[in-house]
Amino acid sequence: MTITNPGGNAAGTDTSHSAVEVSDEELKSMSREELARLGAKLDGVELVEYGIRYEPGSPADKRAERAVSAWFLLTAIFAIAFVGIFLFWPHEYQTAYSDSQLAYALYTPLIGLTLGGSLLFLGIGVVALAKKITPHEVAVQTRHDGFSAEVDRKTLSGEVFDVVDKSGLVKRRGVLKGSLVLAGGGLGLAATVGALGGFVKNPWAEGADSQLWVTPWAPLADGTKIRLTQQDGTPVRPEDLEAGSMSTVYPGVSGGAKFSDAPVMLFRVRPNQGISIRTGQEGFQFGDYYAYSKICTHVGCPVSLYEQQTGRVLCPCHQSQFDLYDGMRPVFGPASRPLPQLPIELDSEGYFVATSDFIEAVGPGFWENGKYPAWGSSPKEQS
Amino acid sequence: MKSSEKGPRKGRLRTKMVRRLSGSLALLFALTTLGLVYVALSPTPQTAVAADVSAEQVAAGAQLYANSCITCHGSNLQGVEDRGPSLIGTGQAATYFQVSTGRMPLADHGAQAPRKEPFFNPEEVDQLAAYVQANGGGPVVPDGELQNTDALALGGEMYRLNCASCHNFTGQGGALSQGKYAPNLDPATDEQIYSAMLSGPENMPKFSDGQITPEEKTAIIAFIQNNKQSIDPGGAPLGGFGPAPEGLIAFVVGMSAIVAFTLWMGSRA
Repeated sequence: MTITNPGGNAAGTDTSHSAVEVSDEELKSMSREELARLGAKLDGVELVEYGIRYEPGSPADKRAERAVSAWFLLTAIFAIAFVGIFLFWPHEYQTAYSDSQLAYALYTPLIGLTLGGSLLFLGIGVVALAKKITPHEVAVQTRHDGFSAEVDRKTLSGEVFDVVDKSGLVKRRGVLKGSLVLAGGGLGLAATVGALGGFVKNPWAEGADSQLWVTPWAPLADGTKIRLTQQDGTPVRPEDLEAGSMSTVYPGVSGGAKFSDAPVMLFRVRPNQGISIRTGQEGFQFGDYYAYSKICTHVGCPVSLYEQQTGRVLCPCHQSQFDLYDGMRPVFGPASRPLPQLPIELDSEGYFVATSDFIEAVGPGFWENGKYPAWGSSPKEQS
Repeated sequence: MKSSEKGPRKGRLRTKMVRRLSGSLALLFALTTLGLVYVALSPTPQTAVAADVSAEQVAAGAQLYANSCITCHGSNLQGVEDRGPSLIGTGQAATYFQVSTGRMPLADHGAQAPRKEPFFNPEEVDQLAAYVQANGGGPVVPDGELQNTDALALGGEMYRLNCASCHNFTGQGGALSQGKYAPNLDPATDEQIYSAMLSGPENMPKFSDGQITPEEKTAIIAFIQNNKQSIDPGGAPLGGFGPAPEGLIAFVVGMSAIVAFTLWMGSRA
């Protein structure tokens, strides 16, 4: 144990080695214990009590040794057990109907217990070693107050600025200073280019076909309209849906279920259910079938908690609620814009297709919303 | 078609009688062909094939209906304004779900009918369902095994896409708007889950066989039931809500243990 002695020296005195003079001959003739005492003395530490804990070979000494080794042995046993379990325990997923479900369920807890226990016992062992085996000591160390002595501070700053002056880094060496600035700037750029890379691409480079304007629902170049398909690519027909149902559909293009702006909810409402449509989106529905974007206009979560009696569609993230019977306008929560409606019709084979792309922005943030240029204007060409 | 022979015999065939006969035959042929083509090409909508029900069952069901349901659903299942909806066309599936889970008969009009102890025994449930099915038809829960334990992965995928948003990814249920909620799936049987998917009780959307095929439905049921019987990792499910409560417990319990241990170590020094 070390006891620090506050206020041992007044501020400003020399805080380096205490005034201990040792000649070379004395140093040579010193035993190991004397050297250890000298080292402590040089650091301003005085050992009040110091010595072995137990008589070597005594029962107490053996007991202490056994107690500490037991922890280290446990550490080893648990570590080896972890390796064995990690390699050989059956870790493959088992259903609730298999006989080996318990073994599978125990895998993760077991590797946690073994490796964690191993680390814990190592820590306990080290603490026990310090408390039972290492020499018993009570030490007093003088502590200095405040900052370094005045002379130390003056001389250090003198040394540093003298080097700077003599190198000519203040008045001369413009090339060197310039190259240092360039080096720092280049390395800084190298560190940030990954983050800045996303800002380099011009989102308007493709003009009317920019990703900001177009979703995968846009008809192909040859005028082919995109089918509404289920997650596995099955095209959807009107009779697939019962009145009062909702199906999540994706564009029938390759990888259609992977696009972040493409998921659409296809609703079939009950006949004679009164529904209002937003101005400019008349005829987007097909009979009792309505298709709306599934991406919440708040922060883009999938809106999918559909209450088929009330026509409310809830977003699970921040409890926004949209009213299907009122043009999918938000009626509660942080979302401020209605979900965009996808115009749908049937193709010649009786499958749902998207008549055109969405006519407004899908999802949350879009910096053109309600600003100039408005949606659909320059740089997008009017289709 | 082959053109008819040209020549003197043509005139003899062209009597008014023959013309009429051949014309109507051609029309009949055309209509039959059209009908066959239509039947072959038109998609078959979801049709329910009711299990064999006897007239006694329907009669017993009618009696039960008159005793317990008629107040809100009307004498001809047409529904009563502000009390109960029409049951015509809801079918066996809806009746089975509502009555076997004890939601019907309704105790009181609230935001949602809670699950409670069933009022009718299984036999009476079947009789009521047969009676409702006999009046307007509707979806029917098929007989046989409703769990496809070989398709757990497919069931999980379909569950996460169609069910998890309301019923939570471990089937614990969750809140909806204005006091409504998606119920916990723990007490639900295979037949109840299947009939709920078919009939869309309360605010649950309907999932017809065109939208989720019967194979996918049985896979979803297998996934739900497998989840219920799985041993929870770590032993305690902590409500089945995933990382938030798990992290809280880890932080509170784990950090408390570490702090207590260090304090104890310091006190022993």
